[in-house]
Amino acid sequence: MLKLNHVTKKFGELVAVNDLSFAVEAGQVFGIAGPNGAGKSTVYNLITGFYPFEGEIAFEGRNIAGRQPHEISKLGIARTFQIPQTFPSLTVEQSVGVGNRFGARGRFDPAYVESILAFMELTPVRHEPTGQLSLLDKKRLMMGAALATRPKILMLDEPMAGSNSNEIRSLMESIRRINAEMGITIIIIEHFMKVLTELTSTLLIIETGTKVCMGDPETVVNDPEVIECYLGESYG
Amino acid sequence: MSWQRMAAIMGVVYGIVAILPLFVGDIRFIMQILIICLIWAVVASCWDVIMGFAGIFSFGQVAFFVIGAYTSGIFAVSWQVPAVLAILMAGLFTAGMGVLVGLPCLKLAGPYVALVTFGVHMTLMPLLRGDIGIALGSGGSVGILTIPPITLFGYAFSSANIIPTFYLTLALAVTCSVVILVVINSYWGTAFLALKDSEEFAVSLGISAFKYKLMVFALTSFLTGVVGAYYGHYIGMLSTRMLELDLFVTLMVMLVVGGIGKFPGAILGAFITVTVNELLAPLGSYRAVTMGALVVILVLLLPNGVMGFWLRRSKAGATST
Repeated sequence: MLKLNHVTKKFGELVAVNDLSFAVEAGQVFGIAGPNGAGKSTVYNLITGFYPFEGEIAFEGRNIAGRQPHEISKLGIARTFQIPQTFPSLTVEQSVGVGNRFGARGRFDPAYVESILAFMELTPVRHEPTGQLSLLDKKRLMMGAALATRPKILMLDEPMAGSNSNEIRSLMESIRRINAEMGITIIIIEHFMKVLTELTSTLLIIETGTKVCMGDPETVVNDPEVIECYLGESYG
Repeated sequence: MSWQRMAAIMGVVYGIVAILPLFVGDIRFIMQILIICLIWAVVASCWDVIMGFAGIFSFGQVAFFVIGAYTSGIFAVSWQVPAVLAILMAGLFTAGMGVLVGLPCLKLAGPYVALVTFGVHMTLMPLLRGDIGIALGSGGSVGILTIPPITLFGYAFSSANIIPTFYLTLALAVTCSVVILVVINSYWGTAFLALKDSEEFAVSLGISAFKYKLMVFALTSFLTGVVGAYYGHYIGMLSTRMLELDLFVTLMVMLVVGGIGKFPGAILGAFITVTVNELLAPLGSYRAVTMGALVVILVLLLPNGVMGFWLRRSKAGATST
């Protein structure tokens, strides 16, 4: 469904992503992990059109290199951000509506927005300005607005960061349902290995923009190289 | 603020203004001030749309006003184009200029947009006064002195017929304000606000920053250009003096007084600022100092302008009941 082929991104002398190749299959929950500064969020920015790059990124067989972020959104790739982004001038309902009106193909569908508000448990705060929301609700709002674009792939950037154990459980359940009930492929960047091992079917570890290991989570977390560069000897 | 509330405030303000000639129609000086208030109300509102709603720190509003005024003046004087047609053409030309100015601004952050757009403002005076301007018909440093008034069905709307001209200006101001009201409450307005709040989140949700930022430049410069052109035909003469800092600062004061991003606050701001400025006229050379001091006090006491204050009060009132 999504294929990165020898993708490289340099910022001046710094090589943020180095000849990276991997593929995500339809219906998967695909995890990406690695130390801080490994280039995980940069990979997201390349896929979603925020930065130009060398190499090829193909989505459903089409090369999407050179497309702008708003065009990528219309193709069916949605994302969230590591630092929660909201529209403080808009209400929760309006913000989710933005995704459906501008990002989805076809006409604006208020009933669909309504269903997303309910799905993400945002109905009680639908009329609230987004700036006043709790951290959990801000994350739900970002996911809701992304879902309102009717994506085929949803890319989540550290959705659990700053959350307590109850919130993590709640967000994990939402991600499972998005994947299972809506049939949306998920890519998730996360530092909580427990989340990744429970949610994902394939896990990719990168360090300094280079692939270290990829495979099923159980195999990856026991890989000596992954333990050395990321997890540490005390893991497990 | 809901569109119904915005429309209600606009209706009340313009409704009161519409009946004022019943009481002060024979005082020519006041009627002229009201006409000027209506013109600045539109220009300040346009500035509010681009700066307050779209979050683009454009300082080119006076430049667009002058471009519209001179374009229509040149069309009407040099090429004998009828005033109404010249005004429309001036609006379209100014919109084109707005898009041209907007293009380099797409890649720039706030302060740099302010610099680029103010640069356009700064280059306009030497351009209009210099050889290029003279060749185009700007009249150089003298300006354009014989701009014909707007004529509709054989009736000339000029300062000689102040009451009909007032109502024509009111109709223009109401039309422009309704256009702004509709735009900021449509999905265009939602896109402007989303891009202002978080551009990266907005574009990731499918909003084209290129399209909507250029749209806001085109729309606000079109309306400003039309009103600038109208102003030229109403006054009958133009000079580059409009490009000196007085008007620029006065317009900014209107915006701050009304409340940035608090449409239709800019309309209120225009009426309040022009009225206070006229009331301070007896102070002579102390007028500017007093006005400046009043603005400082107002910004400290009401950082969101009169509209922000009123909205806060009404919200507090609704919460306490």
